[in-house]
Amino acid sequence: MYMRDRLLPLFVWIFGLLAVWEAVSWWLLRVAKTPLAQSKLPYVHEVAATLWKYSGTLLKEGGATFGNAGVGFLIGAAAGVLLAVLMSLSKTVEQLAFPYAVASQMIPILGLAPIIYGIVRDEQVSRIIISGYITFFPVALNMLRGLRSVDLPAVELMHSYAAKPWAVYWKLRFPAALPGLFSGLKIAAPLAVTGAILVELMGAQHGIGVIMLRNLYYGPSHTYMFWSTVLVGALLGMASYWLMSLVERLAAPWQPEFRPKGGSR
Amino acid sequence: MSLAAAKIPEIQLQNVEMRYQTDAADVLALHQVSLDIAKGEFVSLLGPSGCGKTTLLRLMADLLTPTGGDVTVAGKSAREARLAQKYGIVFQSPVLYDWRKVRHNITLPLELMGVKKSIREDKALELLDLVGLQGFADKYPWQLSGGMQQRVAIARALSMEPEILLMDEPFSALDEFTRERLNEELQAVWGKVQSTIVFVTHSIPESIFLSDRVFVLSPHPGRLSAVVDIPLPRPRTAEMRNSPEFFELIARIRDSFEGV
Repeated sequence: MYMRDRLLPLFVWIFGLLAVWEAVSWWLLRVAKTPLAQSKLPYVHEVAATLWKYSGTLLKEGGATFGNAGVGFLIGAAAGVLLAVLMSLSKTVEQLAFPYAVASQMIPILGLAPIIYGIVRDEQVSRIIISGYITFFPVALNMLRGLRSVDLPAVELMHSYAAKPWAVYWKLRFPAALPGLFSGLKIAAPLAVTGAILVELMGAQHGIGVIMLRNLYYGPSHTYMFWSTVLVGALLGMASYWLMSLVERLAAPWQPEFRPKGGSR
Repeated sequence: MSLAAAKIPEIQLQNVEMRYQTDAADVLALHQVSLDIAKGEFVSLLGPSGCGKTTLLRLMADLLTPTGGDVTVAGKSAREARLAQKYGIVFQSPVLYDWRKVRHNITLPLELMGVKKSIREDKALELLDLVGLQGFADKYPWQLSGGMQQRVAIARALSMEPEILLMDEPFSALDEFTRERLNEELQAVWGKVQSTIVFVTHSIPESIFLSDRVFVLSPHPGRLSAVVDIPLPRPRTAEMRNSPEFFELIARIRDSFEGV
């Protein structure tokens, strides 16, 4: 059942897309004879071959990017959760902090990355900072919504038992905020990866962004490698999202979307 | 005055007044309500929408503070009684926590009181037995029907063996058949736990079937318009619902409403 309902359509889509890609690539190169045809849309099989041939390098550099992005993501998420809790506790904190949090998101990362790099002069730290910086806002915003999503009777129930404020948070507001928190984490995770790659483009020694940039400079002869790095970057983003979805299933399995379909009683 | 009311009052309201100030108007929700409820008594607050019966219950629960008058619970203020964890509350909706299994929803109050885990677990099973939900301990709330969810809510309220059980239209969202069955079950449960129960309802038969006394409230402004003793013997049975005495009580209560 699972095979037929979920995996089959997925495979049809992927192979269909790849087939169309290969066909268009062939058409650009052989029929339309477009200049730099392979740079515009390279053969799938050539890219796949490059991916395979340089899988060691790509894995190592991708790992460096993913690792730093992961650390920044965790720090940013922790900071976001903390700020959300503080804002939910106090209107004053919210009024003070919120405009800055919003304003921080208006600064283009493309401009911020070299500034950060210029200050810390360390590519790993820069990647961590930028990833954390990107993660922080969506997590704080969604966590705050989650903490506020608790309806009044659920809180009154706690009051009727004379529950201490920490107990109201620990036993009611946090669990209730988990779906919101995970929405934020799922938005932030791929962005954190993209942010880390962006820092690498500013000049770094390691990371998928570095080989991406180099192969772009080298021109048409390195087209397949360039496309490989782009694909690896995309895969890292997807992997981060899937990872968060998996953690969500383990941490908050009681949500409506995880319930078995049909016959809920 | 019934025999029960002659004892020391468990809950005492003196000239209680509740006024809501809104931008548009100044609403008098409750006007000069005074009443006594004895320890171990089962009373209903009965009335149409807008009569302030839920407000009255919330004042007793210290979820609201009256703008006038006094609420005394076992000689203390309502706030002190709440902080001393004397209340179990059942709301109109079950208010179960989605992320907790049935058994852990039931033991929530015990967790808050710091009761040991082994004792909590035993208590949960005992209460599931009491409300007729054996075998549902490890289900999640969404796997239960509305009636079953409300029974879990009752079990939760009973878990801490509250001196006072406050119930705010707990069965109003259920169908008539489920409601009548739960009325009988609630009566049986009350016989075992001996809490004082204050039960808010807008159903005249329900209030008669369950209560020792019915406080009849009328709207605009919300006020106490009658207190009706229910002398039907206990345990009350489904057949009593069709007895002439029952119908006579319905007629008496219906006549006692003012300005509806």
